[in-house]
Amino acid sequence: MTDYWLSKLFFDLQHDAQLVADYRADMAAVIERYRIKPEVRRALMDDDVAALSPLVNAYLLRFYFQVRGMPQDEFMARLHAMKGAPAAAKVGHG
Amino acid sequence: MAKLVGIFAASHGPIIARDWETMPRDHRAKLTAAFDEIGRRLRACRPDLLVVVSPDHWVNFFINNLPAICIGIGDEHDGPPEPFMKKVYPHAVLKGHAAFGRHLLQTALDNDFDPTLSHRLTLDHGTCIPLWRIGVDPELPLVPILVNDLEAPMPSIRRCFAWGRLVRRAIESYPQPLRVAVLGTGGLSHSIGETTMGWIDETFDHACIDAFARGEERQLDAFLTEQLEHTGNGAHEIRDWVIAHAAAGSSGFELIDYFPSPATLVGAGFASWKAPAA
Repeated sequence: MTDYWLSKLFFDLQHDAQLVADYRADMAAVIERYRIKPEVRRALMDDDVAALSPLVNAYLLRFYFQVRGMPQDEFMARLHAMKGAPAAAKVGHG
Repeated sequence: MAKLVGIFAASHGPIIARDWETMPRDHRAKLTAAFDEIGRRLRACRPDLLVVVSPDHWVNFFINNLPAICIGIGDEHDGPPEPFMKKVYPHAVLKGHAAFGRHLLQTALDNDFDPTLSHRLTLDHGTCIPLWRIGVDPELPLVPILVNDLEAPMPSIRRCFAWGRLVRRAIESYPQPLRVAVLGTGGLSHSIGETTMGWIDETFDHACIDAFARGEERQLDAFLTEQLEHTGNGAHEIRDWVIAHAAAGSSGFELIDYFPSPATLVGAGFASWKAPAA
């Protein structure tokens, strides 16, 4: 199920270099600006690809973890590790 | 009257721009050859205007306002915003063609289509990587058509065929003697940000190419409508090829090249269609 505010955070990070700088300096403070649920906030703080994946468009997810500085190989490995897990279901990702 | 003088399709992918200088030499050579061939054919048809059918990668639109189809009707559009694109394609402003854009929009509305419109789009890597690699003259006016290929629900394949026919109708009813080419971008199979990321579905790609070559709309529609649910999400960009295909009259498809390109994460496809007889 799409999480609007998580998607909005990821979208805004794609468009606003200052927000990216702020996010890198203080993730928690930026997350506070959005109506992010506590469990989603934890997933963000933990770089939990599996937990975030079902909540946002797959392209936004990829962009977000580029902003986070996660190497592509690691990002892909984390995605591949989800195969077969319930969170791996395609929900609204197209 | 205007006429349709060329129809083309080409893959894109951000890694093509980001890693152009560092990707394996054989990959770069194959990509170069395919893009160059499209460039050669495009220049040979001497277009006055290029209709570019592409996805929007969360640049112009978000889920609070996400059109199925948007037509760019401005005299100018903004060049790509991605930093990796600015290095290779440093065009901050790209020419539009307001008169034809408005004609295409009006033709759509008159035929019971309901696109949204933009007087100034930002054209991301999906549009600009092919423009860059094909070597499209930056002065050539563009009329962008952005298709929602990224977020379900998306336009049906059937509707994309209808859009292609509509584009053709708009070209052939435009009163000025413009030579118009159409370029669809994206595809073939790729998987981005999902559990199969990196998967290039060659079986899908070859079947897709065969279906385009046969041309028959109902078979291609049935194939894509069924198979797009089972392959990587990037393959949804094949809608842009379908629009080009239908603009060509659903015939005359010619594959320029196809190869799986793990270095860029895409099933790289390049094609042209025979332009209608003058």
